[in-house]
Amino acid sequence: MKKVVNGACLALLLSGTAALANDSVMAAIAKPEQWAIQTGDYANTRYSTLDQITKDNVKDLRVAWTFSTGVLRGHEGAPLVIGDIMYVHTPFPNNVFALDLNDNGKILWRYEPQQDPNVIAVMCCDTVNRGLSYADGMILLGQADTTVVALDAESGEVKWTNKIGDPGIGETLTATVVPIKDKVMVGISGGEYGVRGRMTALNLADGTEAWKAYSTGPDDEMLVDPEKTTHLGKPIGADSSLNSWEGDQWKIGGGPIWGWFSYDPDLNLVYYGTGNPSTWNPSQRPGDNKWSMTIMARDVDTGMAKWFYQMTPHDEWDYDGVNEMILTNQEFDGQERKLLTHFDRNGLAYTMDRETGELLVAEKFDPAVNWTTGVDMDPNSETYGRPAVVAEYSTEQNGEDENTTGVCPAALGTKDQQPAAFSPKTNLFYVPTNHVCMDYEPFRVAYTAGQPYVGATLSMYPAPDSHGGMGNFIAWDNIKGEIKWSLPEQFSVWSGALATAGDVVFYGTLEGYLKAIDAETGEELYKFKTPSGIIGNVMTYVHDGKQYVGILSGVGGWAGIGLAAGLTNPNEGLGAVGGYASLSQYTELGGQLTVFELPG
Amino acid sequence: MTSKTTASLMAICVAYAACAMAGTALAQTTGTALAQTTGAAPAQAGAGAAAAVSGDAAEQPAAEAPAPAQASATLPNGQEIAADHMENGRWYTAEDIPTFKISDDGTVDWATFSGYRRYSAECHVCHGPDGEGSTYAPALKTSVLNMGYYDFLEIAASGKQEVNTTANLVMPAFGTNRNVWCYIDDIYAYLVARGVGDLPRGRPAKKESKSDEFAAQEDSCMSG
Repeated sequence: MKKVVNGACLALLLSGTAALANDSVMAAIAKPEQWAIQTGDYANTRYSTLDQITKDNVKDLRVAWTFSTGVLRGHEGAPLVIGDIMYVHTPFPNNVFALDLNDNGKILWRYEPQQDPNVIAVMCCDTVNRGLSYADGMILLGQADTTVVALDAESGEVKWTNKIGDPGIGETLTATVVPIKDKVMVGISGGEYGVRGRMTALNLADGTEAWKAYSTGPDDEMLVDPEKTTHLGKPIGADSSLNSWEGDQWKIGGGPIWGWFSYDPDLNLVYYGTGNPSTWNPSQRPGDNKWSMTIMARDVDTGMAKWFYQMTPHDEWDYDGVNEMILTNQEFDGQERKLLTHFDRNGLAYTMDRETGELLVAEKFDPAVNWTTGVDMDPNSETYGRPAVVAEYSTEQNGEDENTTGVCPAALGTKDQQPAAFSPKTNLFYVPTNHVCMDYEPFRVAYTAGQPYVGATLSMYPAPDSHGGMGNFIAWDNIKGEIKWSLPEQFSVWSGALATAGDVVFYGTLEGYLKAIDAETGEELYKFKTPSGIIGNVMTYVHDGKQYVGILSGVGGWAGIGLAAGLTNPNEGLGAVGGYASLSQYTELGGQLTVFELPG
Repeated sequence: MTSKTTASLMAICVAYAACAMAGTALAQTTGTALAQTTGAAPAQAGAGAAAAVSGDAAEQPAAEAPAPAQASATLPNGQEIAADHMENGRWYTAEDIPTFKISDDGTVDWATFSGYRRYSAECHVCHGPDGEGSTYAPALKTSVLNMGYYDFLEIAASGKQEVNTTANLVMPAFGTNRNVWCYIDDIYAYLVARGVGDLPRGRPAKKESKSDEFAAQEDSCMSG
């Protein structure tokens, strides 16, 4: 089991099909001195082969330079580095800066889009944007108002735009767009507004629409083949989505796509997850609500679905399935397998065969998770692949207007979008997590286009009977389905991790610390407090032969909503509140890039 | 009568919000209509009317400073908060402003509890839990102490924008959203209770049950 598949991910990227994939993206990713895609690579490993900064010298790390974005509110994602230029994005208004690394970060060009500010009002959880992408000499940006923009990477000139959604009905863009081959994959946000989730593939050359695959609805609009598209090895059959909803609820039924997308060039498949069904009141939408909360594998060229796996049928807790799918080639039961590992909001970590969609492992990655006793792993069972729901924590079974208490995890999930990293040197996944539980009371809501469509009241608090903090940073073995070690954190870890060949793992904290830890043991090796809380993702690059590490600070996002004022534990009784540290005691709004280096 | 009034209020809000007109006129219209409505209605002092009003310091002089008006019956904005009469299962002051009623053992009136629920569903994703504010939206438990009820209604109905070189703050217009507008008085009363410090953070532990009057008005508003 300890067989280390060195460079597994690299092999994935450099496989013989490179000519078929987008050459420019493949070539850009293959240079470790660049940070050419938000996820580090198409496999979403967030692993860098750079090794100047090691577990032995990282203690000497220091700030090399900083850059203020001029925008407050939550800064998610990370800058890109292509050649000698760094590209920095901001939350709404989604400004883009091209910084000249040869000239002390001088601003070469800036792009400042004019967007109707009314879009801010329909962004459920702050005006975040998870970063830019790069392909064919263009910087690609998904604006909050759903306009996708291609900018000339050298000049900043607009090459094309395409508005793929309607903020008037609550549709927005927060995820990075992902160029694959001759297309650009674009998701959609708005699960709290009753949007109908879909993946839109644009033609990279001119931004026109190539295909569109809805998460819900008729088969032809979902781009599924009832006979060939499978769920756990069996055909999904005709009208699989329509049969799982009551009436027309699917039309406002959510299944948004706002996480990260990965891509396997050999299989020609793009992988992503769908979000929550709308509303949050499960009683208003009987059925399994397919295909919300689902891992999807689709053909890049046609959009046709190869396989689905619905993790949380008929969601009762807002456990969006959008988190990243990390693609690795590892040994499983003595066989080399093409694996997909996914840390879901619902608190279960899934290891699957990404070629067939076979479920291999489904285990809790936080011992606090209590809404389920686990997933039925017996292929002969009628409930194969379904999580067994604990009645006490079922907001559906307890019913409307009833307060279901003590559910772990909270709606934030054991992990939200903040992406994990994988090191082929340790065969471990490094996962930023939330350690928060909730009370959840669903009630009836009416739908109004463009207005919040929630239908539940939540109280969130640190996981009881634990270390009192609201987060952990864990190392996970995806083959055994076990936590190797877990570092308690005072606040949820809302920052994407980075693993490097220097045997160092980096992540940020909500107080604003950039931390470096030993990839094998988790021992803390270095930390530095940046000006604001970190919800961005750590990246690394080389300029003039020297390795740098960069991180965006700027507290906000969903973390900024619940944690800014501190959380309360209603179970401690009326009045026993304020016992938990409030994030506002540690940090303030900001918007800054901090770049680190070794001395000399 | 009440349902009709609510329906007409919503119609007004639709008209104004749709035109995206900042609603001075709306506020006046809404306010007047509401005041007339509640004023014209018979006071329905229920069984709970005799119960001690939390913050029952009606005799005390008005708090002058904008400091938290703990146990005070007057807000910094000069508005009284003592519960005077009930209509449709909601408590109102003598000036027909929605207010809360919390008995000595901590039992909150249903409308205030309803306000907690609706606030937590519709408002908290921006304004933070328990009216405490977030990294980008103000603490409404404080706002309601300084802002009058009718100003509160105006902003809730029409929204508010502060978009400039340093801020990108946009509050949507909720005048057409039944999940908010049918409960706007509840949300207001809840926030005032939070603001004056009479209601602690979190879910109210004890509450009155929902009255038939409240349920009837709720049904007609939500289905209207």
